[in-house]
Amino acid sequence: MRPHLKMLERSLIERILDETFTVLESTGILIDSPAGFERLRELGLPGDDATRRVTFPRSTVERAIADAPSAFTLFDRSGEPFTELAGDRVHFVPASSALRILDRSSGEPRDATSADFVEYARVADRLAHIAYLSTAFIPKDVPSDIADGWRLYLALATSEKPVVSGAFTSHGVPRMAEMMSLFRRDREDLAARPNSIFTCCPSTPLRWAEDAIQNLLDCAGWGIPIEVVPVLLLGMISPATTVGALVLHSAEVLSGLTIAQLVRPGTPVLFGGAPASFHMQLMTNPMTAVEALQVYCGYAAIAKHLGLPCQAYMGLSDSKLNDPQAGAESGMGMLLAALAGFNSVSGPGMLDYVNCFSLEKLVFDDELAAHALRFTRPVEVKDDLPTRPLLDELLRENHLLTAEHTLERWPEELYLPGPMIDRTNWEQWDLQGRPDSTARAGELIETALEDYDVPPLDPALDAEIRRLFSSTCNEPGVELPALVERR
Amino acid sequence: MPDYALMNQRVFEGDRESVAEMTRAALEAGRPPLEVLEDGLIAAMRVVGEDFKYNRIFVPEVLLAARAMKAGMAVLQPLLTSSEGDSSAGTIVLGTVKGDLHDIGKNLVGMMAEGAGFQIVDLGTNTSAEEFIAAVREHRADILGMSALLTTTMVYMKTVVDEMRAAGLEHVRICVGGAPISQAYADEIGAHGYAADAGSAVQLFKRLVAPSAPPA
Ligand code: B12
Repeated sequence: MRPHLKMLERSLIERILDETFTVLESTGILIDSPAGFERLRELGLPGDDATRRVTFPRSTVERAIADAPSAFTLFDRSGEPFTELAGDRVHFVPASSALRILDRSSGEPRDATSADFVEYARVADRLAHIAYLSTAFIPKDVPSDIADGWRLYLALATSEKPVVSGAFTSHGVPRMAEMMSLFRRDREDLAARPNSIFTCCPSTPLRWAEDAIQNLLDCAGWGIPIEVVPVLLLGMISPATTVGALVLHSAEVLSGLTIAQLVRPGTPVLFGGAPASFHMQLMTNPMTAVEALQVYCGYAAIAKHLGLPCQAYMGLSDSKLNDPQAGAESGMGMLLAALAGFNSVSGPGMLDYVNCFSLEKLVFDDELAAHALRFTRPVEVKDDLPTRPLLDELLRENHLLTAEHTLERWPEELYLPGPMIDRTNWEQWDLQGRPDSTARAGELIETALEDYDVPPLDPALDAEIRRLFSSTCNEPGVELPALVERR
Repeated sequence: MPDYALMNQRVFEGDRESVAEMTRAALEAGRPPLEVLEDGLIAAMRVVGEDFKYNRIFVPEVLLAARAMKAGMAVLQPLLTSSEGDSSAGTIVLGTVKGDLHDIGKNLVGMMAEGAGFQIVDLGTNTSAEEFIAAVREHRADILGMSALLTTTMVYMKTVVDEMRAAGLEHVRICVGGAPISQAYADEIGAHGYAADAGSAVQLFKRLVAPSAPPA
């Protein structure tokens, strides 16, 4: 059996869902956009003109859950199947959209450039346990109105792997979707062979803001897989307790899922989230807080119960540096995420409340991902039951190092971590010059950059995409940065 | 003489009914409204502010106390002359800039500032320079507070600062905040103040409206 975290009784899940359906059916969701509100009414949802609240009849939500795929495939840049988000299959992915990056030489946060992004994408592309990419941070050397799409272009130009992304404005999705469809025969082909997951965020409590509802409608219209990501702050804009938070969280996710299915039945939707605690003194929003982790694992159980794929912001840290707190929070989050069976886990690389991205952390988290994934391997009998013959051999030989069973099994069973986990003894470590983890991460980054060998985009396609950006941004004709890595 | 110490204690406990009642009783006993305001309510909120600053109480207690103070204020307000009413703190127009829908931090700043006796005009999210300027004029604001959480929307703060100047509103102090904002950015765009959290935002506002604050 695959090790699994079990934290909600089935009967409690059912009570939580009952209450969720009641909230959706009677309180409903505020749609903070006249056009969005109208559209939802056209789609058949009851709405109150005066309050602009839309309600979701239980049967509609249940049909939407049935229409939403329980699994879906992400395709690579060229349209080949890349991976399936299904069952308890876990993917670790860099967290998204940091405001800043942690500079590798100074150790200080700073604004990022396109060159920084290319460097990040090359490294992320090479990491064995980082399943696919995200638009991890925002380059500040392009006009701000195209920054969301530009980083997706940089990711697609640098790596063939799928990308988690999202739009920053109400008109952001169509331009990004146009660009992605240039990699396919046409729009329908993009929907059939998606290369990206887009984040859509309701505004807790129970509201879809103007940009967000437009993004959600556009993504569904294009058939782009969506992760619905509410950000509850426990005790502030959410009940402080787990069960109440799960009701609110589920209502918001299912509102997004239902809307997406009404627009285009079968649109892949991940039951996502980034719940955080609210720090009653500092007024900060730790997503790594232990009670938030309980909400994460709780909604994973609800998603599994409904047969929906799920996503989480776990494996990040609120520390400002790659220090013990960063390692501890990330490791805890990633192990729990793997045990809960999250299909897409956004977190690796991120520090400081989703505000700061660190490449060093990303390579460390790649190792943590390896650990978490290994822990969830099923525990099975492997020629070791009955055990007595093996024990007889051990007693006879004093060791099993050369036993046939060991020779056959150990390479698979005993994992040798990479350099980010130090397994030397003190003398070995001393002899190696006492490399600290920053130095080791730096070396891994350099190796990844040297090994990078993804073919560049077709020059005509590349030129077409650049034209799309330079002609549609609010500084038309602006010179956009070349695709070079920062060395 | 009303028991102002007890009244302060009731504010501190967030006991709205008692605070309103004690305010009424003090007025009936003939005490001047300004004295009741200062000794009964503001004195209590000063302690609340200090206690919060030194981690002796938490956000919920601050908001409960602020709510109790407001209950007292509601009784006092009609009796205070407009200059007295104003003299308690100042008026702040607050909003999240155009294109940005994040409002949690801004709301907290508003709640905490209200607790400290400021009048808050909250314009919500996605606010344009024209809307900021119209509200500043209408409410004769002392301070304009802008929030931005996106790297793509923070640049709009500069537009607002410039348009405020062009509109002849140099005397209004402009404060900025939000995760991507820093003191350096505030300086760069010509804002008068930056604060990293709601607690220090209130200190900042107080500094900016203090009579000794540097003139515009
Ligand atoms: C909660 C949240 C949301 C919520 C917002 C709900 C709401 N009603 O506000 C939701 C889920 C809706 C959301 C949506 C989006 N978000 Co958002 N969000 C956050 C998050 C996690 C926390 C913000 C927060 O509320 N913090 C808690 C409060 C208390 O802190 P605060 O805002 O910093 O405020 C304090 C101080 O800054 C200061 N302050 C604030 N304002 C002011 C004003 C003045 C005058 C002063 C003096 C002080 C001051 O005092 C406050 C109290 O102490 C941040 C990450 C982060 N940790 O900052 C991302 C974050 C800001 N979001 C981000 C993104 C990308 C988005 C989306 C574009 C996602 C998407 N694809 O749809 C959309 C944006 C839509 C839009 N057009 O605005 C990015 C920004 C990326 C970038 N480079 O710009 C961040 C950094 C997360 C990330 N890495 O992805 N988000």
